[in-house]
Amino acid sequence: MQNQLSTASEALSTEFKQVIIRLENISKVYGMGETLVHAIRDASLTVEQGEYCSIMGASGSGKSSVMNIIGCLDRPTSGHYYLDRVDVSQLGDSELARIRNIKLGFVFQQFHLLAQLSAVENVMLPMVYAGVKPGERRDRAVEALTKVGLANRLNNKPNQLSGGQQQRVAIARAIVNRPVLLLADEPTGALDSKTTQEVMDIFTEFNESGITIVMVTHEPDVARQTRRIVWFRDGEVLHSHLKPEDINQLAVS
Amino acid sequence: MDILESIKMATTTLVANKLRSSLTMLGIIIGNASVIAMVGIGQGAQKLASEQFESLGPNVLFIIPGNQNAQRNRDVPKTLVLEDSEAIVRQVPSVGGVAPQIQTRQSVTYSNKNTNTQIMGVTPEFLPVRSFNVAKGRFFSNQDVKGNTQVAILGPDVVKKLFGNSDAIGERVRIKNISFLVIGVMESKGSFLGSNQDDTVYIPLTTAANRIIGRTSPYGLEVSFISVSAKDANSIGAAQFQISNLLRLRHKITTEDDFTVRTQKDVLTIVGTISGALTLMLAAIAGISLFVGGIGVMNIMLVSVTERTQEIGLRKAIGATQQDILIQFMIEAIILSAAGGILGTFIGVGGIMLVGAVTPLKAGISPVAIAIAVGVSGGIGLFFGVVPARRAAQLDPIVALRSA
Repeated sequence: MQNQLSTASEALSTEFKQVIIRLENISKVYGMGETLVHAIRDASLTVEQGEYCSIMGASGSGKSSVMNIIGCLDRPTSGHYYLDRVDVSQLGDSELARIRNIKLGFVFQQFHLLAQLSAVENVMLPMVYAGVKPGERRDRAVEALTKVGLANRLNNKPNQLSGGQQQRVAIARAIVNRPVLLLADEPTGALDSKTTQEVMDIFTEFNESGITIVMVTHEPDVARQTRRIVWFRDGEVLHSHLKPEDINQLAVS
Repeated sequence: MDILESIKMATTTLVANKLRSSLTMLGIIIGNASVIAMVGIGQGAQKLASEQFESLGPNVLFIIPGNQNAQRNRDVPKTLVLEDSEAIVRQVPSVGGVAPQIQTRQSVTYSNKNTNTQIMGVTPEFLPVRSFNVAKGRFFSNQDVKGNTQVAILGPDVVKKLFGNSDAIGERVRIKNISFLVIGVMESKGSFLGSNQDDTVYIPLTTAANRIIGRTSPYGLEVSFISVSAKDANSIGAAQFQISNLLRLRHKITTEDDFTVRTQKDVLTIVGTISGALTLMLAAIAGISLFVGGIGVMNIMLVSVTERTQEIGLRKAIGATQQDILIQFMIEAIILSAAGGILGTFIGVGGIMLVGAVTPLKAGISPVAIAIAVGVSGGIGLFFGVVPARRAAQLDPIVALRSA
């Protein structure tokens, strides 16, 4: 009943909302011959403009594999993936790099800031690969860092920042090229509960300003703050439209 | 991403790892400095040798006993004799002067001092043919040669060793227990191809043959070699040809010559070949160290790729293409080796200038060698950078990001 309802609302909303992610019958198989591993089995998923969505599931459920495909770091074995209405499922390495650069923003569990660069230089990095004019880069990087509340930490190196601050620099780096989609892979996995909340507040704020966010997490407390939860099991989409409040039930079952 | 951007990025990384970068460069620096210094010093040696040969005297030819093969393989034949030299004077029209020479090493004694030195038995012709001059006193005459007189002219170094600052002329020195009257002191000529020409005692040829060495050849009075001066520069070739023919007749040669007539140019060519080969060898050794330096660059770059796996993954995730990564790592390698090359050039040039300042070797700073060395070290960066850079470029971003 609930599923039908949400399908109906989805159909309604597609009329005026753009679809950012459309996965159609995606499969991902690793290995060869006898040792085939089906990481994703015929999964379909749609994420619209402005959604705030978390992907959950036990380890080995395929949530990371699906994240890699959504993030254009990997290609599906079969099926189609439309990102921002472009089929990217079988593009070449350079084209995928270009798409990652201008359409996607990544936030990782381990921050992955370059130690030799200051905060503002780290944020400028995606614009270097995008070919943004040098004069414009700094302005935009400062703007992004201001948005995450680090206007006073521009020239600090990563080792002079706390974990939460480092992750905020990483978020600034992820949004600086104005991506259509912000992807976060366990963004709070390396943070304590206080800084986790700091970082989640920034995600929420960004989502409210219209940025589409998809994150992979195994922490129910984090997932509960998003607005939609996709549940993976054995490489399949078990639930595609869980509400945050459903998560307690699920955790029990 | 343009190349300037890549250079900036590579520089930032290299500067962030100062110690590692400079140690990596060290190999290239040493290699490059030694290539430039070796080539420069080798060229300096060549130049010095040719200058010395030009100072031998104008249009000089040398007649040496034995041919090239014989000289290497067995004893020198004792067939070049004083009579040959007299025959050349009489019968070869293109010759200006002929100076037969006998040389040996003996101990020379004055009162309680003695020195082991070169004894040169010559005729008065020696002076004009070889452009030597007497500084003090006189040289001996043809009369002295005919009369086997026991007179000696000392080189300035011999005087210094035996007499210090006091006057040698009129004193008596002993060679092989035979007393010689010092009648003159030679002008300083410096050293020639490493042998000190001032450390020599000149005595009449006949005296040297009869009293010091003793007649040993059945053909006559054997000489060590004969210096000949051609009438002018144009007649050197003619002189060489005529002397060869005359000596073949005199020595009744039907097959292989038992003597060699060398012109100054021949000798220069030989010296040039030898020093050229030496220079080449030194440069090759230096080149090997440059090569080893290049391997050092590759080694460090490979370590760097492994160490920076996460950085590479991140760069790829935020939009770097394989080509971007490849270029970045290539440029790092090239900067390392080119900077090392330039530093090495300065050190090499400094070394050359130092050698030029403290030795008579006027080592040339060869722009060609510098261009080649810097080019080669840049090329080494390119060559040895390819493998690590390709490895970096082909890293799978997922794997790279997960490796913690």
